[in-house]
Order: sequence, then C-alpha cells, then structure tokens
Amino acid sequence: MPESLIETRNLVKRYGDKVAVNNVSFDVYAGEVFGFLGPNGAGKTTTIKMIVGLLRPTSGAVKVAGYDVQAQSMLAKASSGYVPDTPNLYAKLSGRELLRFVGDLYSMDRTQVARRIDELLRMFDLTAVGDDTVDSYSHGMQQKASLAAALMHDPKVLVLDEPTVGLDPKSARLIKDILRQMAERGAAVMLSTHILEIAERMCDRIGIIDQGELIAVGTMDELRSLDKANQASLEDIFLSLTGGAEEAEIAEIMK
Amino acid sequence: MNTTLNLPSMREPDERILPAVWKLLILRVRITFNGFRHAKLRRKIGIVIVWLLLLGFAYFLLAMSQMLLGFMRSPELRQYIDLDFKSLLNIIPALILSGLFVGTLLTSFGVLLQALYLSGDMDFLLSTPVPIRAVFMAKLFQAVLPNFALISLFGLPMLFGLGISSGYNILYYPLVIIVMIALALAAAGLSSLLVMLVVRVLPPRRAAEILGFIGALIGITCSQIGNVANSFGKELNATGTQVTGALARANTPWLPLNWAGQGLVALGEGHWLSAIFLVGTTLALSSVAFWFALVTAERWFYSGWAGMQIVSRKKKPTRPMRLNTEATSFGFARILPAPVLAIVQKDFLTLKRDLRSLSQLISPLILGVIYTLMLFRSGGQVPAGRGEAPAWFMDSLGVVIAYSSIGMSLFVGWMLLVRLAGMGFSHEGKNYWMLKVSPVRTGQLLAAKFLVAYLPALGLGLLFLTTISILQKLSILEFLYGLTAISMCLAGTTGILLAFGVAGANFTWDDPRKMNAGTMGCLGGILALLYLPISFGLFIAPLGLAGLFNFPLSYGYLVGLIVGSSVTAGCAYFPLWLVRNKTEHLDES
Repeated sequence: MPESLIETRNLVKRYGDKVAVNNVSFDVYAGEVFGFLGPNGAGKTTTIKMIVGLLRPTSGAVKVAGYDVQAQSMLAKASSGYVPDTPNLYAKLSGRELLRFVGDLYSMDRTQVARRIDELLRMFDLTAVGDDTVDSYSHGMQQKASLAAALMHDPKVLVLDEPTVGLDPKSARLIKDILRQMAERGAAVMLSTHILEIAERMCDRIGIIDQGELIAVGTMDELRSLDKANQASLEDIFLSLTGGAEEAEIAEIMK
Repeated sequence: MNTTLNLPSMREPDERILPAVWKLLILRVRITFNGFRHAKLRRKIGIVIVWLLLLGFAYFLLAMSQMLLGFMRSPELRQYIDLDFKSLLNIIPALILSGLFVGTLLTSFGVLLQALYLSGDMDFLLSTPVPIRAVFMAKLFQAVLPNFALISLFGLPMLFGLGISSGYNILYYPLVIIVMIALALAAAGLSSLLVMLVVRVLPPRRAAEILGFIGALIGITCSQIGNVANSFGKELNATGTQVTGALARANTPWLPLNWAGQGLVALGEGHWLSAIFLVGTTLALSSVAFWFALVTAERWFYSGWAGMQIVSRKKKPTRPMRLNTEATSFGFARILPAPVLAIVQKDFLTLKRDLRSLSQLISPLILGVIYTLMLFRSGGQVPAGRGEAPAWFMDSLGVVIAYSSIGMSLFVGWMLLVRLAGMGFSHEGKNYWMLKVSPVRTGQLLAAKFLVAYLPALGLGLLFLTTISILQKLSILEFLYGLTAISMCLAGTTGILLAFGVAGANFTWDDPRKMNAGTMGCLGGILALLYLPISFGLFIAPLGLAGLFNFPLSYGYLVGLIVGSSVTAGCAYFPLWLVRNKTEHLDES
C-alpha cells in the first residue's frame, strides 16, 4: 500500500448555519493523480483550501505528508504546493522575481534558486518574459507562472484548483504531462476540474463531492460499478450521482 | 417527468436611445438601493444621518449666502468700505459655474476611466443589443452625478442665495439648474474624450495609476499651500480693491465659461436680450459639446477597448531584485531569516513600482520638505523675550524648543508610518494566499511587516533629525538622545498600528485608498496619534523636570531613557503579541 500523502478525516466546514463541507474523508496516495469533482458550490474549493491551510476546518483533521495541517502547519506547508483557481500573483513583480520570492519563502538553498528559476521558466515557455512584470502577462501566462511558483520547491504534494482553465491546448497538455511526471516520481497530485474528460484520462482515482458531502471515491472501474449498466462514462456517472441527469435530458430536448 | 420548456419569444431589439439609458440608470439605482437594503443597521443609520447633515449644510449655506450677499448690497456697508460690491456679486455665478465646469472636467476623468475601461461590465454591455450610445450616456450620467451633486451642494445654495438677496427674476432659479446640468454634461463629455485620447497612448491601468499619483500630489500640495503662504507670503498681501479688480477682469465676456454666469445675472436683472443670447449660446454650445463627445467617443472607444484586449509586453525589463546571496553582504540582512528578508524585499519593490501605493506615501515627504523650509526660515531659536525670565527657565525653554523640533521629525516619520504600518497586511490584497500557503511563521510574518513599515519611517525621521540638528546646531548628545527617542517612539507606533492593521485587514480591495477604510484603521490612527505625544513626552519630560528641580541634566537623560524606552518597547511588542493568533488565521472568513 503506498504512503498516504493527503489524509482528510471527517472534515467539516461551516459558515454560520451553512454547511459547506460535511464529514469528508478520503486519502490521496503517493504516486497518484486524484481528481476532485463536483457541481458548482459543492465544496471543492473549500475542501482544497482546508488541505493547503488557507481555511481552518470547523472540525475534523487534515494531514499532508503525514503532518497535521493545523498542529504542524509549517511542516505540512513546506511539503505542499498549491495552484489556486484564480492566479492572483504580485502584479508588480517580474516572473523571475516572483519565483525567487517563493524560493526564499520556502527557505530554499540559495544556490538552487537561480538554477530552478531558469528551469521552470524554460519549461513553461516564460523565459522571454521572465523579466517583465506579472501584470503584463496574459491569463494563461499567469496560470503557468502560478504553477511554476507551486513547483519551485519540488513539493511532495501538489494541489491544483481548476488548473487548466484559460490555458491553450499546448499549455494544458504541458500541465497534464508535468502532473503525470510528478506522480510518477512519487508525489501526490490532487486536482479539481469541471472538465470530466481530463479527469477520466488523467486521474488514477476520482472523488465526487456534492452539497458538501463526498458521495463517491474510487478508480474509474470502481465508479462504473456504481452504475447498473457498468458501461457508463464519467459524465454519466457524475450526472447520475449529482442529480444532473434530468438537466441533461432537458438539454437534449432543447437541441 | 415534465420536460416542457417555455422558451422566450424573441422580439426585435429596441434601438431607441433614451429607453435604453433609462433601463441602465434604473439598474444602477436598483444596485445602490440593494446595497442600502442589505447593509447593516448601523450603516443604514449612518447613511441617513450623513444625508440629513448634508441637507442641513445646504440649507445653512443658503441662509448664510442670502444674509451675507444681502449685507454686501446694503448701503450701510458702502459707507465704511469703499469697494464695488455690485460687480463683485455679479462675478459669483460666473465663478461658481466655471468651477463646476472645470471641476467636473477634471474629476470625471478618473471616474470615466474606471467606468469605461476598468469596470467589469463593459464586456457584457457591449455584447448585448443595447445601443452603444446609450451605454455611453448612462456611463456619463453615472460619472457626472456624484461630482455634480457635490459641487451643487456648495454652488446651488450660493446661487439661490444670490438670487434671493438680489431679488432676481423667478426664471433665474430653474435656469440655474438647467445651465448647471448642461455644463456638467458637456464637461463630462469632453472628459470622456480626454480619457479615450489617453488610453490610446497609455494602458488604462497605468493611466489610472498615474492619475492617482498626480491626484495625491496635487491634493497634498494644495492642502499645504496655506502653510507655505503663511511662511512666505508676507510680501503677497493684497488689498481688497486689488482682489475685486482682479476678479472683475477675470469676468471678461471674451471667456466663454463666463457667458453662463453673465447670462444668469442678466436674466435675474431682467436684461432679456443679453440673457437670451448668453444663456442660449451656453446651452447650445454645451449641447454641441455633449453630442460631439458622444459621436466621437463611439468611434474612439472601440480602438482603446480593443487595445486593452491585446496583452502589452513591456519592452523595458525590470531591474532585477537582489538575490539573497547578494543581500547577505549587507550586515543587517544577514541576521534575518530568508522568508523575512524575502517579504521585506518584495514589499519595498511592490510599493516602489505601484504608483497608486506610492502616492499614499508621498504626503509625509512633501510635509517634511515644507516643515524643513519653514524651520529654516524661522531659525528655531529661543525668543529673547523682555529679559525678565530667570536663566534656568530660559535654559529649560531652550531644551524644550530643541526637542520640539526633534519632535517634528518624529511627526514626519509617524505620518509615513501611519500609512505603511496601517496597510502592512492589507497591502497584500488578493495575493495574501501566497504567504498563507507558504511555511512562514506568524512571528516571521509580523517581523517582516514590522520592518517594512518601520525602516522607511525611521530613515525619514533620521534624515529630518539630521537636517534639524545641523540647522539648529544641536549637540551630539541632543542628537543621539533625539535619535533614540525617535527610534523607540516609532517602534511603539509601528507595533500599535500594525496590530490594528491585522485586526482590520482587508484583502478584497481594488482601490488602494480603500485598504484601510474600516473602523480598525480609523481607531488605530487615533490611538497612534494619542500615543505619539505621550511616548515622546516620556523621553522629554524628565529633562524639563531635572531643570525644574535643579538636578543634573544627565539624571533627566537617564530617567527619560529608561522610562521612555521601556514603555515604547512594550508598545512595540505587546499589541503584536495580542494579535498573533488573529494573524495566523487571517483571510479565513
């Protein structure tokens, strides 16, 4: 059994009376890409933010690389990288300065920083604009800079919230390849996405969350076994589990 | 399952301008009303009170204008003051309307830049079947309305007061309002053209940054004109006759901006022909300007907007931030942990590069220069008096005056600190997640933010102190003691302000002026203002007391050093200690 690098146990997040995440428990193991799916407002981003330490759970626990995110937050954060759904980066820093800043935040070896920056800028095709400020980057370039920042310290755990939104096919393919390579090197990759095709093709296991509750976790085959016909695509499984089948039927009628 | 859908029946798009403008304006009213309806009760009451106060102020202004302007016409006054008050009163409408036009032209620029190019709704509006001219008109109305209301709050009561006190014709009053609206719309129209010209040269965001910077510079310079005039303006004294003469010359008929005011006066006094000509010409010219702006803006807008969609790459590379390895040559940096140094470097760099933030910090520098000049002119010496005061009193007074000047350098540093420490955390804005997900300890984060605020304020204070020490020929002891007092007082202020900055941190701002708009920012500022004289007094009072009780001055220095340093060090540390847990969970709501 591979090592569990992300462990969530009975995770609950309440905002006043509203329960955003309710009793969510799952693991993401070393060497796997875990897809986290759910309709809008299902609790994906809230769960992810609790995993990376941006939000404090109302109850329950999260461990990253074996460290409790609340009790051993520094160790947990040092082991993880995070790419948010919106790449809010320091607009007045250049790409190179941004990566150097991140390297210093993670107390990276100073001799490694410059080499790593060059590597990442080259890998994401940002070398030519490395000395331009981030506010001159397109959305896709900012998304790539955000991913480069998350990879700067070579994390054991990488958490990505909608990483392919706004990317051209070439960049999207690059990111998919990088995530797969990271998993092959033993990292745990967790990503949320609305593009079910990406999840189906990229992810080793998939978790589906709806109305704050985790309603299914497993490999594609395990999820298919939930369907009576056992031949369903991820889209069919997703819609039948999250109650979207009726809407799909309506959409068919409208054609 | 019932799957019957009621698809909407499509009608021909309505291309009429005014109904579309009306729809867009009603939408804005609804948004404003919703904002009020969903606000907290405290805020609702506050808004109602502010409106009542504004109305009360307008009424007060009307009554005062009527009384004062009526008094200026009285024959009794003319017996004592030999001035041509009638021509002075006739200038008032021209002055107010010119002010309205120029004020709207200038203030609408920033609002229109935001509304036309930086607000998120233009993409949506331009993709809907709403005539673009209607969108423009709605945007112009929205832009002009707040400034128009503000200028009218002062201008309208004065113009009506003038009308009542002068017994003007009844037609004067509605035409005052019509002329004001026409001039404001024409000014806003021309302002929109200026905006579109500027965005052809500069990207809109850069234009907004530069505008904010220039606005802040003009604002602080204007606010200090009084000080400068008091210090330098003995030669500038002018007589009332000279002033009225200059104003009368400014009311020349050759300046089109004066036509509206002159026309209204003519109308009030019943000079119908000149009134019809001047007011009519004003209204016609305003309509032409507004129409021309609308037509031209339609053409120009697309090119500016299209330019915005293209990502501009800055050809000029940034000067790279120094590597930590380079920074280690600087002794101070060597003792700082890498994350602290990284945050300090990043903050200095972003503050320097973002003109909008820089403009917030520029006022203390301007004040510093003005106070230095004023001090230089006054000489900063103890006034000689009439010679009856005892020597010990004059010595004590000398010490107090010397340290008052040192206190001024503390004040200049403090002014910079209020902005830097208050916005220490809020300055991160939507980028705060980067610090939050990285392994930076709360103590390191607070230390970094402390240094970012403290070091520039200390540097400015030190610069000012050195200048004062040279100008006033202070002794080395006084300089060193002053330096210690300033360093410690500023450290205490930083602790207090930073703690309040944590308590009221706002990471959702788009406009830097709204970073510290909350109650906590305001409370922090007030507390820091109270703290400043008390903390400085703890250093200075023992010196005065030593003189008063005939103790050696060295005792005063020792006591001041111990008491002042202890209290200020406590103020630097304990507020931050109190908010350490809050800091750890910032931005989790």
